[in-house]
Amino acid sequence: MGTSGIGKLPRWLVAFTAACLFLMHLPVLVLVAFSFNSSKFAVTWTGFTFGWYRRLLERDDILHAVQASLIVGVTATAIAVALGTLIALALARHRFRGRTVYEGMMYVPIVTPEIVTGISLLVLFVFLRLPLGLTTIIIAHVAFCVPFVVVVVVARLAGMDENLEEAAMTLGADEITTFFRITLPLLWPGILSAALLAFILSFDDFVITSLVAGSGSSTLPLVIYSMVRRNVEPSINAISTLIVIATSILLYASDRMSRRNEPANA
Amino acid sequence: MRDRRLAALLRAIGDESLDRREFARRAVALGAAATTVAGLLAACRPVGDDVASAERATRDAAAALEPLGPIEPHLSIYNWSDYVAPDTIPNFEREFGVRVTYDVYESNEELLAKLLAGARGYDLVFPSSYALSVLVATGLAAPVHRAYLTNWGNVAPLFLNPAVDPGNAHSVPWQWGITGLAYRADKVAPPESWSVLQDVRYAGKMTQLDDGRDVIGSWLRFRGHSLNSRDVGELTAAKADAISAKRNLKAYLSAPVKGQLISGDVWIAQLWNGDATQARAEQPAIEYVLPREGSTIWADNVVIPRSAPHVRAAHEFMNYILRPEVGAAISDFTGYGTPNQQALARMEHPVPYPTAEQLRRLEYQIDLGRDTAEWDQLWTEIKSA
Amino acid sequence: MGNAGGSAGTSEPARTHGFRRRALAWLAPRPQAQAWTLLAPGTLWMIGFFLIPVVVMCAYSVMPRGEYGGVDPGFTLEAYTRFLHPVYLTILERTFAIAVATTVLCALAGYPVAYTIARSGRWRSLLLFLVVLPFWTSFLVRTFAMIFLMRDTGLINSWLMAAGILREPITMLYTPFAVLAGLVYGYLPFMVLPVYASLEKLDPSLLEAAEVLGARPAARFRRVTLPLSAPGLIAGCLLVFIPSLGSFLTSDLLGGAKELLIGNLVQNQFSTARNWPFGSAASFILMLLVLGAVLIYLRLRPPDSARGW
Repeated sequence: MGTSGIGKLPRWLVAFTAACLFLMHLPVLVLVAFSFNSSKFAVTWTGFTFGWYRRLLERDDILHAVQASLIVGVTATAIAVALGTLIALALARHRFRGRTVYEGMMYVPIVTPEIVTGISLLVLFVFLRLPLGLTTIIIAHVAFCVPFVVVVVVARLAGMDENLEEAAMTLGADEITTFFRITLPLLWPGILSAALLAFILSFDDFVITSLVAGSGSSTLPLVIYSMVRRNVEPSINAISTLIVIATSILLYASDRMSRRNEPANA
Repeated sequence: MRDRRLAALLRAIGDESLDRREFARRAVALGAAATTVAGLLAACRPVGDDVASAERATRDAAAALEPLGPIEPHLSIYNWSDYVAPDTIPNFEREFGVRVTYDVYESNEELLAKLLAGARGYDLVFPSSYALSVLVATGLAAPVHRAYLTNWGNVAPLFLNPAVDPGNAHSVPWQWGITGLAYRADKVAPPESWSVLQDVRYAGKMTQLDDGRDVIGSWLRFRGHSLNSRDVGELTAAKADAISAKRNLKAYLSAPVKGQLISGDVWIAQLWNGDATQARAEQPAIEYVLPREGSTIWADNVVIPRSAPHVRAAHEFMNYILRPEVGAAISDFTGYGTPNQQALARMEHPVPYPTAEQLRRLEYQIDLGRDTAEWDQLWTEIKSA
Repeated sequence: MGNAGGSAGTSEPARTHGFRRRALAWLAPRPQAQAWTLLAPGTLWMIGFFLIPVVVMCAYSVMPRGEYGGVDPGFTLEAYTRFLHPVYLTILERTFAIAVATTVLCALAGYPVAYTIARSGRWRSLLLFLVVLPFWTSFLVRTFAMIFLMRDTGLINSWLMAAGILREPITMLYTPFAVLAGLVYGYLPFMVLPVYASLEKLDPSLLEAAEVLGARPAARFRRVTLPLSAPGLIAGCLLVFIPSLGSFLTSDLLGGAKELLIGNLVQNQFSTARNWPFGSAASFILMLLVLGAVLIYLRLRPPDSARGW
């Protein structure tokens, strides 16, 4: 790990990255600030309040929606990452008839306007008599997340060193053992990237979700978009702030833990 | 699984025209996957389309007199977010012992798309007038059993017997409002006419709603035509007016324009009266005017979809919101008008009914049927100009 | 599964183990079967929940429109001929221009960020999470925050005027600049994540070797880093370009809805216009254009990565 480390990078590169990250978080800072603003509209600063956080306690609908969004996001991400990684392995490591066409087809769901995917799935679910709800939302989310996972993992696999795997097999491990012991750890950064992408896609999806959701399964984006007709209440800023803080703590903790394990791996 | 597919296929063959029959025959030859496709094609048709509407109306009128079962323990409401008072639902649950599920949608179109595709499970939906007419025309709205609405007498005559639902056979009025111009009285004189939007003095300080019906409708009224016009000449003139105004507009912006009016980025905005009232609470200089050429009056309605699983509980809810104190609380919270004349007297901030003179200038939007696509083409051309 | 050793003494029942060994033995000489074993679960899902419904939509695009949405029985190419109207071709052109601009800007901003993260040692995972953290909030609330920043009386203009840099506020909101800013912001992670994933595996010793051999930093980047990270960069470009072709909310909220993109057009056909065939036709034209471009790219790509096991 000799040449890595932020200190060795050119100054301008670090400054540029810091500026980009700052700009990306600027809207989030504004959003957080308005969660403490006493005004109903996110327009002018009228005074400090914790009122929108207290209001959350009365808003069962928002809390229920956050729960639904998390269930959908985690489940859909897990399934999409599993299915997508297998497809990526086949595409990057195997020659088979129709491989190029197959890979090209993977981009079709990405370009399909969401409303088309949403309406066609709604017609399918109604035809199959599947009751609309969390299950149908998860099915739909997996379908639109898989191609993203495939593209990211294929990029990771491209040109990856296969010597380690061949060595493991020479030493007597079968394909499945080799996959879990060697390939998966090597793939990990790609899988992590894909999972993050899939989760933010699922967590923030409105158009498709609105069409395949049923009674009792409104996710957070559905509640927020529905508020636009009147006014998006700052309690939405409050819940967004809480989600960001909770995520940060979780990520910081997991980072600390993995760092503690790092010397053993190095 | 096979049986269901077969049944769908038989249905597709049974009630379709010759083309579809031919299509379905080929689908059989192509095997199971294609069968699914054929069934799906059949599934896309609006559910109740096959019964003639007159026949359906007679049947519904008879059905509306029959008694309903006991109150179900559950009720699924499908509405806009924050479109009831905070205590409306909890009080109903307590009093009737009904557990309410409240789901939300973003637009009338989303509601229509789902119901037309055959989504089930919702007991009460809240369409605007033109969406209500689609639900009635396609037979997706269930008849209202008036005998269960003991509070029906509270509805103001103005909202009885609307053109989109004769005799209120399928709906109960919910909230009403008008579309006019909100303006900053500290910056501009009251805009009496839609022509203010073509005034270059306020260029970059004005907005219209991001809705083809509202924008084209305003320019039809400007030239003295109905905002439901299907006349090519009238529509072409409206398009030209809309384009000349577009040069002055900052944006096409719906509800979020409230923030820009408050901050002073926008001085004149085509807007709903309830939204202007909400914004005025924050910025007292915001005033509201109905342009002299006239505009839209709209009403949202409560409707039970024909596929509703809990019809009796839905009727109890309809009757509940017609109580004066419940109706008043809802309209005080939403900022819109109540069609409940007993509730009007109890409101903290009552929205008075339009005067006879104003009513002459106000029109409901009527569903345009097949001409909807032509209007959309006009709207596309305005946006691309 | 994790502790399944290849040879002796595992705790797994012998039967499972025997089946596993037999299955692998059967697969070993059959590369086609190997590939399809990996492909099967995902492919079945995508056929059932993407392909079949979309084929149905394709059929809708050649049927007459229903009065209240949906379609009526029959066959017509009206939806496709309608698309040839100049209004719609202009919309298609504008959509492609914006998508190209978004992709280029995302690449220019995203590559250096991904490079820094991949090289940042122990900061790596924290920085990576910082890139996606904003997206844990809702698109809509985030966009409203951007509106607050970019308004005439917004934060950026107030700051610049207070600092004496500006005398008059500059109009940012409801301009093409705002749309582009929103799109680049929204799609940046789609560029950073794949580029990061491919840069991260780059072996530092390669760069050291190049340095020892006397290559300057610029040459090291051009000859070593860039080619090795090309798959990630290309994946990122596709993941930004393709979905931005279908975007519609950003141009409504930040562009002031004064112009239409293909995404808005399609959205309108399925909602207010109730013209499903035209909406489907517009989508399929877009999909065919993209599929064609991607297939051409995949054909031209050097066949380096596909070695069998």
